[in-house]
Parts: sequence; structure tokens; C-alpha cells
Amino acid sequence: MNEMTPVAGRGIDRRGLFKLSGGLVVAFSLFGGAEARADALPATRLGGVPDAAKLSAWLAVHPDNTATLFTGKVEVGTGVQTALAQIAAEELDFPVERLSVVMGNTWETVDQGPTYGSRTIRYAGPQIRHAAAAGRQVLLDLAAAHFKVPAERLRVNDGVIAVSNAPQRSVTYGKLVAGKRLDMTIGATGTSFAMKVAPRAKLKNPKDYTVVGTSVARKDIPGKITGTFTYIQDVKVPGMLHGRVVRPFGVQAKLLSVDETGLKEIPGFVQVVRRENFLGVVATTEWGAIQAAAKLGSVLKPKGPTAYGAKWSDWHGLSAQDHIWQTVRDTSGKNTTVSETGSVDVALHGAAKVVRATYRTPFQMHGSIGPSCAIADVRRDRATFWSGTQMPHTDRQVMATLLGVPVDRVDVHWFEASGAYGRNGLDQVVADAALMSQAVGKPVRVQWMRWDEHGWEPKGPPIAQDLAGAIDERGNVTAWRHHMWIPTFLDTTLVAAQLINQPNVGGSIGLGLPAITYAYQFPNADVTSHGEGRVALRTSWLRSPAQFETTYAMEAFIDELAASAGQDPLALRLKYLKDERAIGVLKAAAKAYGWKARPSRAGKGTGQGKLAHGRGIAWANRDDTRVATIADVTVDRTTGDIRVTRVVVAHDCGLVINPDGLRNQIEGNVIQSISRSLHEEVTFDTARVTSLDWVGYPILRFEEIPDRIDIVLVNPGDKYPAYGGGEPSTCPTAAVISNAVFDATGVRLREIPFRSDRVKALLTAA
Amino acid sequence: MAQVVKINVNGTDHEVRAEPDSMLLYALRDNLGLHGPKFGCGLSECGACTVILDGVAVHSCVTPLGAAHGQKIVTLEGLSVDGKPNALQAAFIEEQAAQCGYCINGMIMTAQAFLDRHPKPSRDEIKQALNNNLCRCGTHMRIVRAVERAAGMAPAGEGAKQ
Repeated sequence: MNEMTPVAGRGIDRRGLFKLSGGLVVAFSLFGGAEARADALPATRLGGVPDAAKLSAWLAVHPDNTATLFTGKVEVGTGVQTALAQIAAEELDFPVERLSVVMGNTWETVDQGPTYGSRTIRYAGPQIRHAAAAGRQVLLDLAAAHFKVPAERLRVNDGVIAVSNAPQRSVTYGKLVAGKRLDMTIGATGTSFAMKVAPRAKLKNPKDYTVVGTSVARKDIPGKITGTFTYIQDVKVPGMLHGRVVRPFGVQAKLLSVDETGLKEIPGFVQVVRRENFLGVVATTEWGAIQAAAKLGSVLKPKGPTAYGAKWSDWHGLSAQDHIWQTVRDTSGKNTTVSETGSVDVALHGAAKVVRATYRTPFQMHGSIGPSCAIADVRRDRATFWSGTQMPHTDRQVMATLLGVPVDRVDVHWFEASGAYGRNGLDQVVADAALMSQAVGKPVRVQWMRWDEHGWEPKGPPIAQDLAGAIDERGNVTAWRHHMWIPTFLDTTLVAAQLINQPNVGGSIGLGLPAITYAYQFPNADVTSHGEGRVALRTSWLRSPAQFETTYAMEAFIDELAASAGQDPLALRLKYLKDERAIGVLKAAAKAYGWKARPSRAGKGTGQGKLAHGRGIAWANRDDTRVATIADVTVDRTTGDIRVTRVVVAHDCGLVINPDGLRNQIEGNVIQSISRSLHEEVTFDTARVTSLDWVGYPILRFEEIPDRIDIVLVNPGDKYPAYGGGEPSTCPTAAVISNAVFDATGVRLREIPFRSDRVKALLTAA
Repeated sequence: MAQVVKINVNGTDHEVRAEPDSMLLYALRDNLGLHGPKFGCGLSECGACTVILDGVAVHSCVTPLGAAHGQKIVTLEGLSVDGKPNALQAAFIEEQAAQCGYCINGMIMTAQAFLDRHPKPSRDEIKQALNNNLCRCGTHMRIVRAVERAAGMAPAGEGAKQ
């Protein structure tokens, strides 16, 4: 017991723990009026991050035989909180419903890397699994000392340890630990995704799993359904003021002057915050801040750069939207070869048939339903943040740099936000709040308005792709060329830093990467990516970054080759694939769908009236998860409307932790990617984004959802380790729809979105 | 200028001191500390802020507080009975019908007001009733199933193990 210390501050007392962690941090009273506040919050938590080599960094056991898992990963709506708890509960032999999870708070969780890229289960899962297994061994050793028997004679069941053949001699984990901190060293090396925790821990055989692999109900859902859950948007701290940003009219316009006429008359108005081109307002009420920001020009449809209190220079530095594809092609960058086999040029020259096509995908946005929000409390010698970021530990470092405060004087309290699907405005708004709090010397809560989110969240980049294929007399594909122009999606710069003329604080612009897994075995191949920096608007990673787009081009173009060769599109794929798991998901999807081999009908089949029906297939390998999708579509020839009626997904992400949680993710990926395929395109002029609300940037509605989404989980047992499920099933959808529309109508859709006016124009021209 | 506006929220009378032309949403969230209704757009486009005002689902982000004077308002918190989820909320939990859950307030409040008037709807009627509520996570299939389940229709999917 000498390695356990009695704890005052950190995480053992369950009541105290709830106050400083998780969804219950902020007490609020229905009758407390505007003063409802987080009086339970500690004044400061400053003191660095926990030592990953100590068991206490991962686990606390409480006297009532409940326990807490600590993780630097965060919940973004995908269910990883529950899945990680299942992994820990499994190794601990502890009831998952008695294990709560603290996520992301920088002073009490280990930095396990940002929560992105479908990497949480894959990389943080084993870290937590090892820590929990080490924890179980520690508890067994404590029990051995307690009962004075060898650990081998002990049995564990649901957090109770008993001596074999003497069930009356039993003790709970809670009683054993007796309120002390688990300071035992379990060992840890490396950092972030590559961290190895408790390398010598003895792990449970997956054949004995009883919690992993079951559909445990998500821990967060009841609170979200009843209104007791605390999102970042719900957090209040004592003395907090409300801030709103006033962004430049044009993306890089300069702030010429600020006319504050009328602001003092707004109830609750406190002050304008101006620093170089950064502009914001602070008030005692949200409504006051909104009114003041509107007077300065924060409105849905501003009339011009000098039409409101804030006067901006007339900046027009963006590429025009109708010129963006040329701009994408003309931007210098770095070429990366993905695959180079034989000579594509020679094969094209001697081919019986050559097919060429260009695919285009526009700027798209994350489109969170809840605009980005954060609270900052910046003092002279320290700073505290409340944020819904997917990377709290990174933001802590970035804010220390931005404010010039030592990093060990910065804390980030993490709370779940509205789903982000990548790096949206959640990191940006932290910097906005920091500048406003610094200026007023009080805590400031900033929430973006809808037009701030649509206008200034970093976007998914526009991508242009040229493809060429050669087919010989016998219908073999003899050559494949796929060239991609991919602007950066790794931009980590901050709008606020740019506006105060410190553009490099916080991050860099980065280069586009070849986000593609090319797996076909064509005799001649040339797959090359041209990675670029920023093209027009600020970008970042958006669900399956660039791979949604590259899969669309690759999997629609192979359909073009199959159609040109008069072959069944599934058979053609299988002919050129060796990847067993890819073949596995394609065959599983085909079986579940009831696929009958035939070439695409190119509109010459059924449905010759107003409605045309077709089917499409595509697959992807994103970071070792294989997914194949088949869908039926109906096209209204008179309007150009596409409806996806039935979807079948076969998904192989290796070991499945929570089948229903995974199905929820796959359904979400399918619906969101149908939306991106059919509707979504950011519009802009030479000054600014012009699609600033849900009218300008529509997303899929209930009347458009499929009738059925059937999901087949392939290899869900322990044959393969757990990969990721948060993104991969987004990848095939656009190609599936494009291929199905070709089958139905003979029209090939090579540009996203497949808006009805575009489809109708193509049908008319056909 | 700020005035005292009387509203009844979830069965309790409140006097809220705020400007009558400010929006009801901010009174509920900031003055009364409720978490159910959410700010989504402020433009009546997404439905995240939906509350039931005298039996009708309204967008509280564009409803002036003054217009709610003397009226009965039910929020997501007010649906629960004795601290337990009501039938519709229980159906959402049973179907695990949330991902991030930010839109779910609007889904449940809109569906509740709809079911109160149309207790036995068809699937298409449910979709139409929810058509002005936006969900970005793509939880639509489960949301529709949850409303069907609450209406006593045969659930189409498999719920999670409880």
C-alpha cells in the first residue's frame, strides 16, 4: 500500500471528482437566474499534466466501488467514450456501468494525441487496455497482501476479488484501494499515438471477452435526450461576460476604423475589443453582444465593407469561384508518386479503347449544427479555457504561445461540443475568446453566429482529378492514370492570429497529401498527387479528408472502364484486386444486396418513364478499414432529382468493440456523405464566402433519407486488431451514387454536388 | 430596456428580467439555466432551439420573449416525468438515436408536439413533421425509428443492449 497516497485534490472522492470532471462540472440552478454558475469549479487546476507511467494517470478507484478512467481522447459524438470504457472494463473485470470516463481535461489526462482520423480505438484503445490490465494486476497484488494468499489463488468478478474456494473471503476494488491514489508505476514510453503504456501488463485473451464486442448502451445518450447533459455551449463560469466576433467583410480586409455610435445605448454593452484587424464586442448578456456585433456589421447579409460601424478595406483577393479549378491546377506544390508501374503512355498509345475523364469536388464545410463556442479566463500570469476542441492538449500549447504565458500556467477544461467531423471552428473560437478575455480582464464566453461558422470555419479543399484508362481488344484494363491536385487539408493556423498580424502563431498551412489507397493490379499504372498549400479559403481536415474525394474519382472512373468494356462493375473490380479484405467486403455487400452480374445499362434498362432506377457499387480502404457500399437510386428525369432508396454497406474494421455504436457511425457516414454528394458546395466571391446559412448551404433532410441502410460487419472478431470506424464508410458514397445514376440514365456525374439542376442539364444534353 | 416578463416554464412560474424584444431562447438558456433548447442558427432554419409554446412547437431563437409573456412553455427538461424520461425520450434512448446529440432537443420537441396531435402517424408523416429539423451526424434513420417506437409502431431496427 505504500505506493498509494491519500488524496485531497485529484479524482478519488467521487463527489469531488464529478465537480471537476466530465459532464456534471457545472452546477446550474433553474431558480438561480442569471447567476447560475460553476461555483463548484476549483479556482485553479494549474500544475501540468499527469505522468503517463503512473497508474493514477489512467485509473481511480473509489470507496463505493465505482471507478474512473482518465483519457486525453474526447467524445465527438462517435461513441468512443463508451467504447474506451468497454476496453478498460474488460481488462479490469469491472462492470462497465460503474466505470465513468473523464476526457480531455489537460491537468488530469494524458495527451494521447488529437481525436481525429478514426484513430481513437486503434491507438488509444491499446494504451487504455494495457493500463487497465496493469491496474487489474495491481489490485490482485493488493488483495493477495490483504488475504495473505498468493495472487494465483484469487478470482475476480465484476470488481470483487475473492479467494478461490472461499467465497466468503472477498473484497471489492473500492474497499481495497480505500480512497487512495494509485501511484504505482506501470511504465510508459513514447508520446501521442505512438505511446506504449504498461508494456509488461498481462492482457486478457480476446476469446474470453464478455464486454468488448457487445452493444453496451452509450453513456452520454440519456443526458443528451433529457436535457441534463452539459455541452461546451452550456458551460457558465463565475463573472463570465458574453463576446461576439466581428469578422472582416473580405477575408483579408484591413480594419480602417470603428464607429461606436449607438453601442453604449445597448443594454449590457461593455466594450469593443480591437487589436489590429481583430474585432469583437463584449457585453453582460448574449443578446447585448449580438446587438452590438450587428451594429458593427455581424449580420447574415452585410451590404458592404463600410456599411456598418466597422469600416473595412475593399479587399478582393480570392480566386473567383468559376475560376477555382484553374487556380487549383496552377498552384505550385509537391508531387508524390503513389504508384508507378510499367508505362501508361505506351499502353494508352496502343490501346483498343482509351477513356479519359476529369472529376471535380468543391469546397465543403463541416457544418456543425451548434456554432463553435469557448470560454477563456486570461489573467496576467495564467489562463484557463473551456473548450470542445478535438485536441485540448495541443490547444493548451498553442494558447500559451499566443498569450505569452508559460504552458504550465494554462489549463483546458474539455466539454463535448456539437459534432465537428474534423477541425471546424472549435479551435478558432478558443483564440477569439482568449483575445477578448485578455482585453477585458474577465472570463469571456464567445459563441460564433451561424454566419461566422459558415463563413469562417476552415473548409474541406476543392480537388481536381484527371484520369485515363486503356482497354485492349479482349476487355482487359491495360493502363490506369490518376492525377490529383490536392490543396492542403492540414492547415492549423488561427484566424485570430492572422487578424492580429501574427499568422504563424499556433500552426502552419501545410501541404495536401495523397489521401488514397490504390489497390488495383493493372499492368501499367501512374497514380500521382500534386500536393499544394492554401488555395483561396482556409481549409482543414473534414471527415475522410481528401479520401472522400479521391475515392469518388477512382471508383467512378473504374465504373467508366467497366461500362466501356461492357463488363459487370463488380466483376471488373474483383478481377484486378488481390487484397483479400477488399474482396471480402465487396463480396459480402454483393451477397447482402443480391447482386446479379450484368454490365451497367446506361439508362437502357428499366424505368423508361419519368423515374429511372439504377444501382452502383464502390469500395475503399481507409487506414486499413475496408468498406464496400452498394446503393439503389431513383432519378426523376423531369426534375433531375436523385433519391438514394436503399444502401448496403459491408464494413471490415477488424475487432468491433461495440456493434451498435459502429452501426450508428456507419449510418451517419452514409447519410452525411449522401448529403455531401447531392447538395453541398461552399459558394464565394472574390471577397468572401457567400453561403452563410442553411439556405445557402443546404444539407440532406428527412424526406430524402434512404428507406433502408443494411449493414454487414465483416471480420468483427479478433482475427484482426481494431482499426477505425469514424470515417471510412464516408468514402465510397459519391462514386456509388454517380455509378447508379449512370446505370439508371446513361449520364455520368463527374462533379460534386449532384444538384438537380446539373443533373437535369446533363439529361437534357444527353 | 429590460422589463420583467412572466413565463411559465415546465410548470413553474418565472419572472425574467430581460428586453422584451430579445429572443426567448436566451431567457431560457441564460436567465433560467436550461440546457435543452440550443442555439443553432438564430434564423429559424435548423430547429435546434425548438420548445413547445402553448402546445405548438416553435423556434425559440426567433420568438421574442415579450410574445411569450404569460404563456406556458415546455422544454426538453420538462418532458421528463418524476425525473424519468417520458415515452418519446425513452424511445430515443432505446434506439440509441443520437450521435453528438446537439440537434436532438429539436427532434424530440418537434416530434412530441406532432405526436400529441397525430398519435398514429405513418413513416412518411414522421419524416415530413421533422423535415425542417437538421441533423448533421446523420442519425435520421434512428430518429424516425424512435418516433415510430414511441407511437407504438413496430420498431424496424435493433436497439442496444440495456
